[in-house]
This record gives sequence, structure tokens and C-alpha cells, in this order.
Amino acid sequence: MHFGHAAWMRQQGKWRELMVVSFKRLAKRLACATALAGLAMTTMAAAADIKIGIVAPMTGQLASEGQDMENAVKMAIDAVNAKGGVNGDRITTTTADDACDPQQAVTAGSKLVSEGVTAIVGGYCSGAVLPTLKIYGDAGIPFVIIGANSTKLVAANQGNAFLANSTGDMQATTAVELFKKNGYKKIAVVDEGDAYSSDLAKLTAEAFKSAGGEIAAKETTTAGEQDYSAVVTKIKSSGADAVFWTAYHAGGALLTKQLRQAGFQGGIVLGDGNNSPEYLEIAGSAGEGVYLLSPPTVDLLSGAADFKAKYKETYSRDAGAYAALSHDVGDLIVDAITRAKSADQKAIIEALKASDFKGLAGEIKFTDKNTLQTSNFRPVIAKGGKWVAVE
Amino acid sequence: MTLDLLIQQLVNGLIVGSFYALIALGYSMVFGVIKLLNFAHGDIYMNGAFVGLIVFSFVGIWVGNGWLGVVCALLMSMLVVGLLGVVIERFAYRPMRNAPRLSILITALGASMVLNGTALALTGGRHYAFNTDLGFAGVDISTVHITYTQMVLVAASIALMAGMQAFVSRTMYGKAMRAVSIDMGASRLMGIDVDRVIALTFFMGSALAAGGGVMAGAYYGSVHFFMGFIMGLKAFTAAVIGGIGSVPGAMLGGLLLGLLEAFGSSLPFVGSEWRDVFVFGTLILFLVFKPTGLLGRSVVERV
Repeated sequence: MHFGHAAWMRQQGKWRELMVVSFKRLAKRLACATALAGLAMTTMAAAADIKIGIVAPMTGQLASEGQDMENAVKMAIDAVNAKGGVNGDRITTTTADDACDPQQAVTAGSKLVSEGVTAIVGGYCSGAVLPTLKIYGDAGIPFVIIGANSTKLVAANQGNAFLANSTGDMQATTAVELFKKNGYKKIAVVDEGDAYSSDLAKLTAEAFKSAGGEIAAKETTTAGEQDYSAVVTKIKSSGADAVFWTAYHAGGALLTKQLRQAGFQGGIVLGDGNNSPEYLEIAGSAGEGVYLLSPPTVDLLSGAADFKAKYKETYSRDAGAYAALSHDVGDLIVDAITRAKSADQKAIIEALKASDFKGLAGEIKFTDKNTLQTSNFRPVIAKGGKWVAVE
Repeated sequence: MTLDLLIQQLVNGLIVGSFYALIALGYSMVFGVIKLLNFAHGDIYMNGAFVGLIVFSFVGIWVGNGWLGVVCALLMSMLVVGLLGVVIERFAYRPMRNAPRLSILITALGASMVLNGTALALTGGRHYAFNTDLGFAGVDISTVHITYTQMVLVAASIALMAGMQAFVSRTMYGKAMRAVSIDMGASRLMGIDVDRVIALTFFMGSALAAGGGVMAGAYYGSVHFFMGFIMGLKAFTAAVIGGIGSVPGAMLGGLLLGLLEAFGSSLPFVGSEWRDVFVFGTLILFLVFKPTGLLGRSVVERV
């Protein structure tokens, strides 16, 4: 795969060369015209622009989340520009679509680098963000990751990337706290076998065992499957007090329903991938009383009412799960550029390291590994077909 | 394994198995008549579930979300999707009937992608809730809880399959179907309208798949565009185990596969992630050692 990729990059290089040559020719022909136009433009271009790249899934199955991220970041930047920009410079944005696909993410990342962006924000799927870390790292571009939260990202980071969302081990910690608070002693952990959910399942099982808990069962289901009856039967006979489902909402809703249908009375706790209105719709009455470890969504944040209303007014749609955090990251990067007092990328990275930022979704302060100091996952509970905060 | 666990897994296996059997039946019938592995069959099942959901949400206004609504959705979906099967056969498979076997196989894959892609485009990849008021009421046998819905579901699919078997073995059209499956050319010479018989086979096979789709949708409470993929693979496996081309074989294969899954994943030291390994491992074993399946007869290739 690596060889194929290298060949593909070389091919891209050839095309780029060809394009550069033809553009040079074109440029020569247009030189006179440009010179004349340039005279008129000089006065307008006096204030330099700072360009920020947004990388998000704009197509594919997670396009809706990507759209939210782009909208919310742009909203933050527009507000800054309306107040006169940062250090007297205007900020522009450019969006690259990674489609949550590793290959397309590499293309999108290379595009942003060749456009000469000062900093990059975004990233929803860990799988798509992972291969781009090297590209941005080699180019030394500051990169603030909004949604992706696999612990693999921390290991692959070259020091220029920052995770504004809590990582899997933080979620595991939050989960164990919730189990203890509810008095659960034996937990069944169920995942779907993919990188995200098996990672979270493993981390949680380890954290719970070292906190004195017992793992009654550890099961893996197939994504896209409808029937969970065999797993449900095993969970029931294992005598677990509660089930922790670490994968996504589609399977989570079916598992919840089938657990309750089989008469399982214990607690059900879901990982952050289940924060979707579809979960509540499909699980229906079986979903009542189920816990979810949620990212900071606008509905859970007391100070986000204005943002929620303004978002709806500007884009005529509801702010999704990651809109508030995306807006914060937009503000955070502006804050870092302001404190760096220049558009120098090294200075911005240093400024990000020293961040002490308070946004809609909470506090952003980084550890020496560039991850959040305090977890931003909040336990919520389903009541009357809605997620409400647990205190 | 305790007795309760045993009974519970038996119930689980019977329910899943009856779905597999319904879908496998369509696979088997189509293969029996025109020797085509209809890879679009799983997607027809998915389309059936969607048509059922649409009908259900309309009729639900008048007849409620209970049994009557589900039965209406079931019948309408079977009719509509049965006709869809006929259309697919007419435009995708009939022009290829005299082409090499591989071409028609590839056409079937294409038809599957068209159905799948259309559903993705129309639904945006969303999971839709199929909320019925069927409830969890039922009978308890020691700790095992069996809902009335589960009982009706198994009974309904057995009734559908029995009806199908009676149709194939007792009626004139069934006789014609069997004749075409043995020798298409000779059947034509005997005055059988082969095109009509094949269209009928597709109608019935697709209607059964649609019935399975609506039942699964209503039972699990969720419908999405990719649900046909895994079901298609499992039904194919069930058809091979039972003997592809054989109607009772498909039923037997489906039920056996359901039981195999349920018990395979509750063996000690074997996790549920091994469930599909059991299924497809069994498929490989059958393909290697008994490709005709349990009840199939060997097909002699005529040159």
C-alpha cells in the first residue's frame, strides 16, 4: 500500500510540474495585463491576509457533520473579521474535503499545504486524520483537530497537532466514574470491531478492572447486523449489572431495544458515537434511562443559547453535535495568532501550547502531549425522548 | 451451558433462521429456474423493508401501528417489490439469458449496486425507525421470555414457505416452473411460455424477500440501505447448505444456519465475534465437500 501510495504521489508530482509549466507560460502572456491591473490593486492589498484551512468531510456519509464544522468555524472567523481581524490582518478560509476517507484526506491535506495556509482546523474521522498528520507535521503547519479522538493520533503527532476533543482514554475514565457512581460492579463491554470502538472498549475494560470492577463479558458484533439476540443472551447469562456499548448509534439502538425486549433490567451506557437523534428515534421507549457519554453539544451548554440561535439564523439548520466545539476551535486559533503577534507558524504552535482558553464548550488547555487537560465528555441520560445532563 | 441458555439460543436461532429461510427460498428458486445466483436478492429484501416502512407510515394513520398496519405493509410491499423483481428480470437478466453464465452474474452484481446506490441516494444513508406497537408481551418458560411477536413471526414465515412449497408442487404453474428448471428448450417445445414462468419465479422470489424485509424491519425496528448486504450473504449460505435450487432445502438451510449462529457464538471460550466465522466456514466446508448441499441433487451439465 505504501508503494502504491508513493507511485501515486509521484504521478501527482508530474501533473503538478506540467501544470506549473503551463501556468508559467500563461503568466508570461498575461504579464503586461497583470502589471497594469496590479497598479490599481496595490492600494487594496496593503493589509495581508491570513489563510486558515478547514479540513472536514464535505461529501460521503458524514457530510452533515463536516458541514457543521465548516459553518461553525466560518462563523467564528467572520465575527473576528467584522471586528477588524487579527493584528490588523483579515482572515480568509479555504475548505478541503476529506470525505472521512484516508486516501482522499491525503489529497485534501496536500491541497491545503500547497495553498500555503497558515494553520489548519478540522478533522472528524480518526482514520482520515491519521495519514495527514505527517503531511502537516513535515510542513510545520499548526493543526487543531476538532472531532477525531483516537489515541493513535497522539502517538503519530509531530508536535504541531492539537486535540481539542477528549481522547479515548479520557472517555474511558469518564465511563468508569459513571459506573462507580451508579454502583455497577460487573460490566459487559460490547464493541463493533473497528478501530474506534475496540480501542474504547479495551481502554474502558482496563480502567474498570484497575478501579476494582469486574468485566462480566466482552463481546464484538458485526457492523450492519440487525440481530443481536445471541449477544444479548450471553450478556443476560453473564450476570452483568450494566452494558457499555462503544460503537455507533445504529447498532446501539438495536442492541438497546433487543436487551430490553429480552428483559434485561440493568444499566445501558453508550459511547460518544451514539449522540444522534436517530438513536432516540429507533430505540424508542427502550432508550429511556440510557446513559450516553456526549461531546459538548449546544443543547447541553448553558452559555450556548445565543450561538444556537445565531447558527440557525445564519445557516437555517440546527447546530449539530460538534458545532460548538468547532466554533471554539475557530476562536482558539485566532486567539493563538493574536498571542503569537505574527503569522509565523512556529510562534503559533508555541502560542497554542500555552493556550488557556475558555469557550462555549468549556476550557481548552493542553497537556505536554497536546491533548486536553480535562475531559470534555459529559454523561447525559435519555428522558422523554431527549438527552438531558446528569448532575 | 444451562438449560435456560439452551432454550433461549434455540429460540434466537429459530427466529433468525426463519428470516434466512425466507430470503434463501428466493435465491434457490431463481437459481433453480435460470441457474443464476441473483446477487441483487439481498437488496430486494432491503427495498421490501423500505416499501413496507412507507406503506406502514401511510396506513398507520387509518389502521394504527399494530398488527393490522404491519399486515397491510407486508402485503403491499410483497406486491410492489414482487413487481420490481419482474422489472429487474425483464431489463437486466432477460437480454442476457443466452449470454455466457459469467456475463449474467456480473449483471446481477450491477443490478445489486443500482438498487443499493439508489436507496443510498434517496435515504442519504440514514437509519429509519420502524416503530410498531407490537410490544414485548409474551409467555415465560422459566427465565426464557418469548414474545407473541416472535411466535407470530416464525409462524408467518413458515406459512409463507409452506404456501410456496404447495404452489410449486401442486399447481399448473408450479409444474411449469419445475419443467423449465429441468429443460428450458424442451419446455418451450411443449408449449410452456418460458418468459412468463421465469417472470413469475422472480415475482414470487422477490415477494418472499420483501416479506422477510418487512418482518425484519418491523421486528428490529430499524431500516437502512445497507441491511440487505449481510442478509444476502447469509441467505446465499443458507441456500447452499440446504442445497441450492431445492425449496425444502432452502428452508432447512435457513433454520440450520440460524441455529448454528446462535449456538456457535455461545460456545465456551468462543466470543460472538466468531459468529460469522462459523457461518462462512460452514459455507466453505459445504462448497468443498458437499457442493450440492443437504437436499440438493447434482446438476448435470449438458454439452
